[in-house]
Amino acid sequence: MNKFSLQIKKMVVLLLVLTLIPFMMSGCWNRRELDKIAIVAAGGIDKENKDKIKITAQVFKVGEIKSPQSGGSATGKPYVNFEGVATTSFEAIRKITQIASRKLYWSHNQIFVFGKEIAQEGIEKYIDFFVRDHETRLMVNVLVSKGTAHEILTTETDLETIPAMNINDIIKDLGATSQAPQITLKDIAERLLSKTSAAVAPLVEVQEINKKKHARIAGTAVFKKGKMVGELTPEESRGYLWVIGKVKSGIINVKTDDGTKRASLEIIRANNKINADIKDGQLVITVKIKEEGTLNEQDSPKNLTELPLWHSLELLQAAAIHREITAALKKSQEYNADIFGFGEVVHRKYPLLWKDLEKQWDELFPYLKVNIEVQAKLRRSGLITKPISPSTEE
Amino acid sequence: MNLETGKIPGYQLIFLIMGFVSSLSMLFLPTQPAKNLAWLAILVSIIEGLLFASIYTALALRFPGKTLVEINEFILGPLVGKIVSLGFLWYFLHLASLHLRNYGDFFTIVYPETPLIVFLIATIFVCALAVKNGIEVIARCSILLVSLIIFLYFFDLFILLKEMDLSKLLPLRNVSVQDFFKASNAVNSVSFGETIIFMMIFPFLNKYVEARKSLLAIIIAGLLIAISAARNTAVMGDLLSIFQYPTYETLKIVDVGDFLTRMEIVVSINFISMGFLKISILYYGLVLGTAQLLKLRTYHPLVFPFGVIITVLGVINYGAISELIPFALEIYPLYSFPFEIGIPLFLLVTAVVRGLPKKTKGDQI
Repeated sequence: MNKFSLQIKKMVVLLLVLTLIPFMMSGCWNRRELDKIAIVAAGGIDKENKDKIKITAQVFKVGEIKSPQSGGSATGKPYVNFEGVATTSFEAIRKITQIASRKLYWSHNQIFVFGKEIAQEGIEKYIDFFVRDHETRLMVNVLVSKGTAHEILTTETDLETIPAMNINDIIKDLGATSQAPQITLKDIAERLLSKTSAAVAPLVEVQEINKKKHARIAGTAVFKKGKMVGELTPEESRGYLWVIGKVKSGIINVKTDDGTKRASLEIIRANNKINADIKDGQLVITVKIKEEGTLNEQDSPKNLTELPLWHSLELLQAAAIHREITAALKKSQEYNADIFGFGEVVHRKYPLLWKDLEKQWDELFPYLKVNIEVQAKLRRSGLITKPISPSTEE
Repeated sequence: MNLETGKIPGYQLIFLIMGFVSSLSMLFLPTQPAKNLAWLAILVSIIEGLLFASIYTALALRFPGKTLVEINEFILGPLVGKIVSLGFLWYFLHLASLHLRNYGDFFTIVYPETPLIVFLIATIFVCALAVKNGIEVIARCSILLVSLIIFLYFFDLFILLKEMDLSKLLPLRNVSVQDFFKASNAVNSVSFGETIIFMMIFPFLNKYVEARKSLLAIIIAGLLIAISAARNTAVMGDLLSIFQYPTYETLKIVDVGDFLTRMEIVVSINFISMGFLKISILYYGLVLGTAQLLKLRTYHPLVFPFGVIITVLGVINYGAISELIPFALEIYPLYSFPFEIGIPLFLLVTAVVRGLPKKTKGDQI
C-alpha cells in the first residue's frame, strides 16, 4: 500500500465518521420533548367497582400557571385531572393516553393518594407497578384519603397553584406539629416486605371552609399486611412518632394551677431508644424517650419559671408524652399491627430466637409488655420569665 | 516477535484492576443469600480473592514476560497447552459477552424502548477502538475514569449519610453459614476471580515484580465494594433484596434540600466508564491470546471479528434476567472454578514440581 492510497483511506474513514456524527448526536432513541409530555404532579387510586380501579393523575397545565404580575385572569384551573379505569394500575395509566393528548410523565410525581376503599382492600397489589417502573420514584409521598383519592385531588388551594403542590407542602411541614408521619413509597414498600412490621401513612380528609373544600391532615392510617385496619388520631400519631424518634417539633398542652389553667410547651428536640430484653422468660420492650422543650405560652398568673413549679411543669410534660405513647400503643395492639417495628428490634437483639418468635408475633404482639420511660426537660421560657398578667399572690 | 510493544507502569496496573474489579460489582453483585451481611460476605471474599491473585502473580513472576497462553504451552506442551488455552479464550469471550450484556441490560431498563443491540454495538465499538490502540491506552484511560469514579463514590457516600440507618446492618447472625459462604464465594467468582485476565497483561509491566501490586488493588477495590454494599443496606434495608440494581435504587433516594436529587445518573456514569474498562480488558486479553495461540504477527485483524462475536453472543447469552440470576449464583461459581483457580493452581504446582522454568531453557527474561 503506497502513501497516496493510505491517505485516501484515511479521508474515507474521516468522511464516514463525520456523516455518522449527526445521527449519533441527534438525541435519544425515543426522545420526548418537554411540550409533548404531561408532567404528573399527583397520582390517586380509587376503587371504581368490584374489580376495577380508577387512577387519577393530576397534570400541570403549564400555560395556565401565570405569575401574579402578568395578571392572568382565573379563567381555568392550572391543572387537569385525568382518570383511567381498569383492573391494574398500569393498564389504568395507559388508558389515560386515550383521553389525554400527551403521554403521562411520572418522574416528577410528588404525592400519591390511596382512597380508603383501596386501602382497606389492600394496597400491595396496586403498589407493585410504582416500585417496578423506571419512571415512577420511590421518594413520592404517600397518603391515605378518608374518602376517595379523587376528592383530595380536586380540593381548593389558596397559596399554591395546584392541589398536588399544596398537599406536598403540607406534608413537608408535618414536623411542625408531629401529628402525622411523613411516609414515602420506600417506607411503605420496606414495611410491606417485612413479615411483622406494619405500614402507616398519613391520613388526609376534605374539610369545608367557607364553602371551599380544603385538604387537611387528620392523623395516621394503620396497615396490617398491606390492608388498612384502622386509624390513629393526631395525638396517638404523635405517640407513635415519639417511639420511632420522628418527632421534630410540636406543642404539648399541660394543665397548671390544679387543672384550671393551661401552658403550651414547644418540643425542641427528642430522642428515642428502643430495647428488647427477656426477663424471666418474658419478652419486654423498653422505650426510652428524652425530650427537651420550652415554655412558650401560659395563662396562669403564677411565675412558672420558679423552681418547684418549673420541675412540676417538666413532670407534667413527661406525663403528657407518656399518655400519648400509651394511647398509640394501645391502639396498635388493638389492631395487632406492629407499627413501631418492635419485631425488628427483637430480631436484631435475638436473631436466633427470632426464627420462632417471628411465626408467633401475631399472637405475641397484642400482649407485649412495653415499658415507657420518659425524661422531659424544659430549657427556656421564651423572652419573658414572669407572665404579663398581674400577680394575684400576696 | 512482539504482539504488544506497549509497557505500563505498576501504578497503572492498580487503577486497571480497581476499575476492573469494582466496575459492575458496585452495581450488581450476587449477594442476595447473605441478606444484610452482604458487606461482610464481600470482606470475606476479599481474602479468597487475595488467595487467587497470589497464585496468578506467583505464576506471572515465575514466567516473567509470558502471558497465560504462553505459560500454558510452556508447561503443558504444545498440544495440551493449546487446548487449555482455547478453554481460557472461550472463558474470556463468554465473560466479555456476559458483561457486555449486563451493561446493555442496565440501559434497557433506563431506556425501555431502545433495542438492546444499539447499546451493545455502541459499547463494543468504543471498546474495539481502545483494544486496537493497545494496553497503554486502556491503562491511561483507567487512571482518568477510576479517579472520577472514586471521587463520585465518596461524594455519594457523603450525601447518603443522612439517609443511613446503621441498625439495618444488624443482626450479625441473620443468615446461615452456608448461605453466607455461598454469597461470598459467588462474589469472589464474579469480581476478584475474573482478574485471571490480568495474566494476559502482567507481561507488559515495566517491572515484572510490580505484578504483586495487583494484591493491593484487590484490597482497595474490595473495600470500596464492601463499603458500598454496607451503605446500600444501611439506606434500603430489606428492600434491597427486591431490586435488580441496588446501587441505582439507593442513589434515587438522595435528597439534599430538594436541590441535590436524582443522583442515579452517577450510577450511569459509573456503569458507562467502568463497564468500558472491564469489557476492554477482557476483549484485549481475548484477541491477544488468540493471536499468540495462532502465532500471528499482530492481533489487529482479530479485533473486528471478535467484536462481532462478543456482541452476538451477548444478545443470545440469555433470554431474560430470570435466567441470569440463578446462573450467577448457582452455575457460575462452578463454571468459573477451573479457569479462576483450578488450572492456574495446577500450572503453578506443576511448574514448582518440575522446577520450571529451567535456567538453561529460559529464552527471554
